[in-house]
Amino acid sequence: MIGLYLLILVVGAIASYVGPWWAIAPVCFILCWWKGKTAVAAYWISVAGGVSIWLTYALYLHTAAEVDLSSRVAGIFPAGLGMDGIPGIIPLTFLAVLIVGLVSGFSGLAGIRARAFINRS
Amino acid sequence: MKVIRCFWPLFVAAGLIYLFGNAWGTIPPMGKLLSPFHGYLQNAETAVPSGKMELAVDGLKEAVTIWYDDNAVPHIFAQNDEDLYFAQGYVVARDRLWQMEFYTLVAAGRLTEIVGDAALAFDRKNRRMGMARSAATIAEKLKTDTLSNKIATAYAAGVNAYVDQLRYRSLPIEYKLLNYSPEHWSPEKTILMLMNMRNTLNGGSNDDRLTNVLAAYGPDVIADLFPDYPGVESPVIPVGTPWEFTPLTTPPVPDTTWAIPGDQRMAMGTAAPRPEVGSNNWAVHGSRTASGLPLLANDPHLQLTLPSIWYQMQLSAPGVNVYGVALPGTPAIIIGFTKDIAWGVTNVGSDVMDFYRIRFRDSTRREYWHDDSWKPVVFHTETFSIKGSAIVRDTVLYTHHGPVVNQGSEASVGNIPAGYAMRWITNETDGSDMLTFHYLNRAKDYDDYRQALTYFVAPAQHFIFSSNGNDIAITSNGRLPLKWEGQGKYLLDGTRASHDWQGWIPASQNPTVKNPPAGFLSSANQFPTDTTYPYYLDWKFTHSSRALRINERLAAMSGANADSLRRLQNDNFNVDARRILPTLIPVLASIDSIRKLSEFTVLSEWNYRNDAQETGASIFEYWIPELRRALWDDEFPMAGQMLYPSLDRTFSLIENDPVASWFDNTHTSTSIESMSDVVAQSFMAALHKLREQFGPLSSNDWAWTHVKHTKIMHLVPAFTSFGRTGIQTGGGGEVINATTATHGPSWRMVVQLDRDWPTAYGLYPGGQSGNPGSPFYDNMIDRWATGKLDTLLFIKDLKSIPKQIMYQFSLKPKRQ
Repeated sequence: MIGLYLLILVVGAIASYVGPWWAIAPVCFILCWWKGKTAVAAYWISVAGGVSIWLTYALYLHTAAEVDLSSRVAGIFPAGLGMDGIPGIIPLTFLAVLIVGLVSGFSGLAGIRARAFINRS
Repeated sequence: MKVIRCFWPLFVAAGLIYLFGNAWGTIPPMGKLLSPFHGYLQNAETAVPSGKMELAVDGLKEAVTIWYDDNAVPHIFAQNDEDLYFAQGYVVARDRLWQMEFYTLVAAGRLTEIVGDAALAFDRKNRRMGMARSAATIAEKLKTDTLSNKIATAYAAGVNAYVDQLRYRSLPIEYKLLNYSPEHWSPEKTILMLMNMRNTLNGGSNDDRLTNVLAAYGPDVIADLFPDYPGVESPVIPVGTPWEFTPLTTPPVPDTTWAIPGDQRMAMGTAAPRPEVGSNNWAVHGSRTASGLPLLANDPHLQLTLPSIWYQMQLSAPGVNVYGVALPGTPAIIIGFTKDIAWGVTNVGSDVMDFYRIRFRDSTRREYWHDDSWKPVVFHTETFSIKGSAIVRDTVLYTHHGPVVNQGSEASVGNIPAGYAMRWITNETDGSDMLTFHYLNRAKDYDDYRQALTYFVAPAQHFIFSSNGNDIAITSNGRLPLKWEGQGKYLLDGTRASHDWQGWIPASQNPTVKNPPAGFLSSANQFPTDTTYPYYLDWKFTHSSRALRINERLAAMSGANADSLRRLQNDNFNVDARRILPTLIPVLASIDSIRKLSEFTVLSEWNYRNDAQETGASIFEYWIPELRRALWDDEFPMAGQMLYPSLDRTFSLIENDPVASWFDNTHTSTSIESMSDVVAQSFMAALHKLREQFGPLSSNDWAWTHVKHTKIMHLVPAFTSFGRTGIQTGGGGEVINATTATHGPSWRMVVQLDRDWPTAYGLYPGGQSGNPGSPFYDNMIDRWATGKLDTLLFIKDLKSIPKQIMYQFSLKPKRQ
């Protein structure tokens, strides 16, 4: 379990750095195919992996920056993303991890389910 | 079933990637945008760079060294001119790519491609003005102009060297938010950028409004209320300056000087000239300065935006070393100084846009009547690509005057539609304007300055000049049409050859003066000359208040230094208040109910200064527009596309003719209003507005800075959080520190020339970087608001690195 999580963390981070924004998806798919035990675990470990990578890097970039760009960006979105008094990094990162969580979770689940299909046939 | 059970997560994952990887309406691709590896967080700049960086690029001949100072200003050292412009293009794109492309999309009428059909009406108007078509023609012609073409091409190659290395993650944030990508740069885009500036400075006209006044009231009222020269003026070329040339014969005034609109009014209202777009510049001769050598100052007033319209830089190569500000997208320095000279510009604003009523032969509009014959109309199809929608086409009709901006469907008599064609100097430029700046950047003395000016076409500018040879000069420079007296004051008749422009005023006869006896020169968009100038330029220029104040302060100045000029740039004294309040205050005081008001006390005790904390300034600035409305809107309604008489004429009517019938409000049939009624009513209306917006009178809530509320917003109006609001400044539209709510000094520069090396100061309300995630995005705003100036780092050569340099960035030619 921990092994799969760490693998997703390392491979996922490298893939995200060099690949497109959804690079975490094939990583979760392949690693869960290879190492996944149960569907539930594959789903949640992928979620945790994807979220950890994006969250850590986002917070790093945010804190290392000299300017609070997140609040400026949050301010241009309607629907309360740029609420007064709440730093923009909070709603934006919440949305970001929601997106990456869903994408990685379903990709991991897809990997273990696809393996099941091949193995059974 | 089994397939579905095993693969539904895959479909969901693919669906999510599709959902978050694409834009939906105005929502950008959120997955891409929020990914820390690709999205907006990649634009959040971390540490300021230090040390040395090097990059090999295609298209360079030799190595270029760029030093960035602690205000992120690049100092470029190239070994030849083409590399210099290449590097300028590269460096400006590095900081301002999105902005410079945005301006070209505006001028080309292509905003629909990035924001959709909401921009269609705006785009259509810009296309009908002909800027995109002219830019394409000029770009084509430019190829025959060796030097301009070389400059623009090298600049474009530099921009493209930067564009080519961009990936999604390194795109300026606006591209990510609006979900599009930069195009390659070209000389045509540079020309479009200049078109945009010409439109800002010369893209307005009152011809249709004044024609409506003429139609309603006749020539006597025009002569009385809309005179060709104001009562109080201080022209750019000092009164008494002799005209040292033999003028051409001015064309005779024809019998009919206007096209009577009848029921064919111009349906598409033209933008009025923008009084808030103006500028100040002045030069003080060595006889009046502490150093014995000239001082020069310039502050162009434009809409204040982020990113800023200006970009500071130093350009150096063999034969050139210049510092100043450039327009993103345009080669060379536009306002600046060299070792020997300094120059600046303000807008002339003479009449270079006229409208001709076109008589078409029939409803096909293939021919129009001109000079006793039918002439062919040229049909030009404009195509609009609309984001997320179909293509839209608009056929623009061209006559020899120019494009028919107002087409027949909007006004017609019987079956024969009419339209108004526009002749506009912007559509007659040739791309040579760049050469003026190329040569000014290399100028050493007065003769070089005069030679450089010969290349300039539009928008006509007052080029102010000083040199360490102790010369000062100013020239109202640009291609100015030769007109009969009053030509183009009204809509013109497109069928008469006598209404065509009659040629050009010879460039050598444009208003100019060198080393006047007074020892100083200035311009603030007022009349270029007094009435002795032999040519007609326009009937109306910017109100003279800034000019009057500048000239009276310069006249009182001796032993001036750079700080004297800096303080003058920040002068908040309100000349209009000084002129009119001594007449108006007694009128108010004669009314008991007003005299008892604390607002009246504040105004009567006001020191005539539009300083940030003054409440009197707030009352005055709210009152004057109310006064003009109360006095004029019954006879000359804005809503009826008419024009109010000028502020100068309004004041002179109050001062000299308080019983004029104009004071009567024609909307009230039972009473006859007097001057004192209009004054009192408008004063109360202003107070009512102030109370409604800011509560009861208080020194905080009614402080001028609070009431004026200066803001500097991003170029995309919807990106409100990328802007800055509530900037604490005084100033006003009619004071030297012309800071209003949205416009103001977009660059302030003061140059102290020296025999050896000049000292210069400057600042603009923004920052060098166009990236809202950079500490250099808006870092100069607070210093600007306090009226301070930075000392500009003007480097002699690469021999020793000044301590202000943060890092070195070198461009090297790629080895083949």
